[in-house]
Amino acid sequence: MSNTAKHLSVSVWRGFADGHYQTFEVPRQDNQTVLDVVTWIQRNTEPSLAYRFACRVGVCGSCAMTVNGRPRWTCRTHISKVVDQDGKLELAPLANLPPIKDLVADMRPFFDKWEKAEGKFHPSKTRVDPMATISPETTKRQAADKAIECINCGVCYAACDSVRWNPAYLGPAALNRAWTLANDERDAGGPQRLKAVSANGGCHSCHSHQSCEQHCPIGLNPTESIAGLKRLTVDAYIRGELS
Amino acid sequence: MPAKLERSKTDILILGTGGAGLFAALHAARANPNLDITIASKGLLGKSGCTRMVQGGYNVALNAGDSVERHFMDTIEGGKWLPDQDLAWTLVETAVERVHELENEVGCFFDRNPDGSLHGKAFAGQTFDRTVHKGDLTGIEIINRLMEQVWALPITKLEEHRAIALIPDAKGDGISGVLMIDIRTGGFRFVEAKAILLATGGGPTMYRYHTPSGDKSMDGLAMALSVGLPLRDMEMVQFHPTGVLAGTDTRMTGTIIEEGLRGSGGYLFDGNQERFMERYDPRGERATRDIVSRAMFEEMRAGRTTPEGGLYISMAHLGPEKVAKQFKGMVDRCRDCGFDLAGGLVEVVPTAHYLMGGLVCNVDTSTEWPGLFVAGEDAGGVHGANRLGGNGVANSTVFGGIAGDTMPDWLARNPHARVPDEDAIEQAVITVGAPFNSGNGDMNRVRDTLLDVMWNDVGILRDAQSLNRGLGQLNDIEAELKSCGIGDSNRAFNLTWHDWLNLKNLIAISKVIASAALARENSRGAHYREDFPDAGELDTSTFTVVREMNGQLEVTNQPVAFTRISPGETLLTDAPAAAE
Repeated sequence: MSNTAKHLSVSVWRGFADGHYQTFEVPRQDNQTVLDVVTWIQRNTEPSLAYRFACRVGVCGSCAMTVNGRPRWTCRTHISKVVDQDGKLELAPLANLPPIKDLVADMRPFFDKWEKAEGKFHPSKTRVDPMATISPETTKRQAADKAIECINCGVCYAACDSVRWNPAYLGPAALNRAWTLANDERDAGGPQRLKAVSANGGCHSCHSHQSCEQHCPIGLNPTESIAGLKRLTVDAYIRGELS
Repeated sequence: MPAKLERSKTDILILGTGGAGLFAALHAARANPNLDITIASKGLLGKSGCTRMVQGGYNVALNAGDSVERHFMDTIEGGKWLPDQDLAWTLVETAVERVHELENEVGCFFDRNPDGSLHGKAFAGQTFDRTVHKGDLTGIEIINRLMEQVWALPITKLEEHRAIALIPDAKGDGISGVLMIDIRTGGFRFVEAKAILLATGGGPTMYRYHTPSGDKSMDGLAMALSVGLPLRDMEMVQFHPTGVLAGTDTRMTGTIIEEGLRGSGGYLFDGNQERFMERYDPRGERATRDIVSRAMFEEMRAGRTTPEGGLYISMAHLGPEKVAKQFKGMVDRCRDCGFDLAGGLVEVVPTAHYLMGGLVCNVDTSTEWPGLFVAGEDAGGVHGANRLGGNGVANSTVFGGIAGDTMPDWLARNPHARVPDEDAIEQAVITVGAPFNSGNGDMNRVRDTLLDVMWNDVGILRDAQSLNRGLGQLNDIEAELKSCGIGDSNRAFNLTWHDWLNLKNLIAISKVIASAALARENSRGAHYREDFPDAGELDTSTFTVVREMNGQLEVTNQPVAFTRISPGETLLTDAPAAAE
């Protein structure tokens, strides 16, 4: 740490819909994440600073913010990854979502769109039936598995230009979930889901800028999932199933 | 600033959106779609709490070579004969249906064998490989699929609403509703309800090192305690041997480093980088959680520690590339936080993981209070003195679903709303608003003292002296907290106000843990008394029950009812068959 500043200079968005940046000095430590930085400010300097977190380990997807202009989880973003030798850090709430206070954004639109994309399983069997025998090697299962570990943190949604330009766009995470369901042979919601994702604001609103893939903290590729949905919906349209 | 109080009414109010709360909502809405249902979460729906954090998996007897009887025996023996046997039986029996429901109706997809059948993995303390899982992210799969279903239900969702008091009815013979803080506005909301499920999750975050989600603070149990309801097995706090140790002011400290690393041959080193586990147990690092945790605590107490005061885990001798591949999630998580788990040394400490204790309840999740139900980690009696890995998520989903079945049924028989005790609402508003009128006590000091007292005096190794000392200090910081204030600041999303409330609840339940630990003069499962190291007679086993009466904690020892089987007996007739 000899070449780096002993303190971080942290510029933090304060306020509700209207606000301003406020700068705090925070002691730098070897093991320090962005979440630790905002916690230190709240506990030691500015008791009213609002931020959101829960699990601390990249599982719940509650803590994402804009860190130096880029959406990131804060619990697993080590300071050394985001500050230069001057120790400057700028924090704001996630973009493309309504602000609540300080660093907290309202994620309801994100989940409303998840629902709108039919991002839930439609059962074809009940609890009294045996469980489906499905080989993990099938093409469809592998396609689903590749995209299934999303924790709905909203980072891709905040990074997406198409969401920014088109408020109706369902966004990468919701469509990625729809793609996993389209590949789930147990699911019975296919026709209505294809309608949902091919409607205005659906998969065809994606411009394949691939910001989602670049920003996903766990390396998923929603753009690829959306491309898969585009193929499915075009095929269905040609077959006359989307009329 | 006068506090605003909004009111609403509902038929069923569910507190918590982990496995228990979400399942209760699904079942209740399905049982009677005409019911008005409200579900409230301290954080975002499905994102706070611990079900989501489950790595291991879900214990369930599905295989022909396994049986619910075998799962039951493992649960009872793992719990050192303290579990309520009817609760444990309900757990193992209903888990079979619940996993089918998760797969067939909710949409979870658990890992398969090459032939397409469900894969069951081995988990410590079990005689059969019955843990169904989704890689090492089982909790995410379960909660994501559940929250999708619940998000689409036409019910009222109160996100970032923190429950602060269970409000009795005016006659004092049941519950009438729950007072909450709308975290986003800082205002109060009283939700009057005919049936209420307490499913806020336990999570022993009052220890210096702990694994649970950071938003947990024993809110459910503290509310139950303060209205005089009985809590059982509260001395039973499970410690996991390996949590990350990253130093002061780091949220990651205490979070789990998975068990599989020791199981696959990882070493534990003291501060001098020498192995020590073989001095404690012939199985070395592969000994059970409780034994490894105690050995580590002894090493740390003897001062053979790392720079941050812990020990090391080392995997490099197994080949860094292989480790990075086999434990990808764990290695990635450590790397993001600055540690090289695959090739280097990572500092670790034992870490408080799960609270076996909780509110006394019946198999249908009902409690002593008419209208109040409980499920998940807020409920006591399922696990006894120790919880098997894989029985936690089974517990929350099984009993959450049962609560969702029970409450509509109960409502049909008890359709009348109860009149709220307005004085209790008023008093609760005053109590939780206190820090806005208080002085300049040091809340950070209170927090640090709590974490250290619980860790040092009420933790992995205990004796009468340490427990009494701990209780004394807990009383001191309880008084000190009252002097801590945040001035007349804006209540909207005021985390420091919530820190104060968290500490208040954590201190209250810490006193219960210490009192129960003092009352149990033997060593069972997770509870180890250095002055009473023997397990005691199994045939005359008792469990502790703590109540708050007139501001004092009263502890009683009650005999375990061996309703299905007595120590020395077994329900099994055969040795386990092969898993595959």
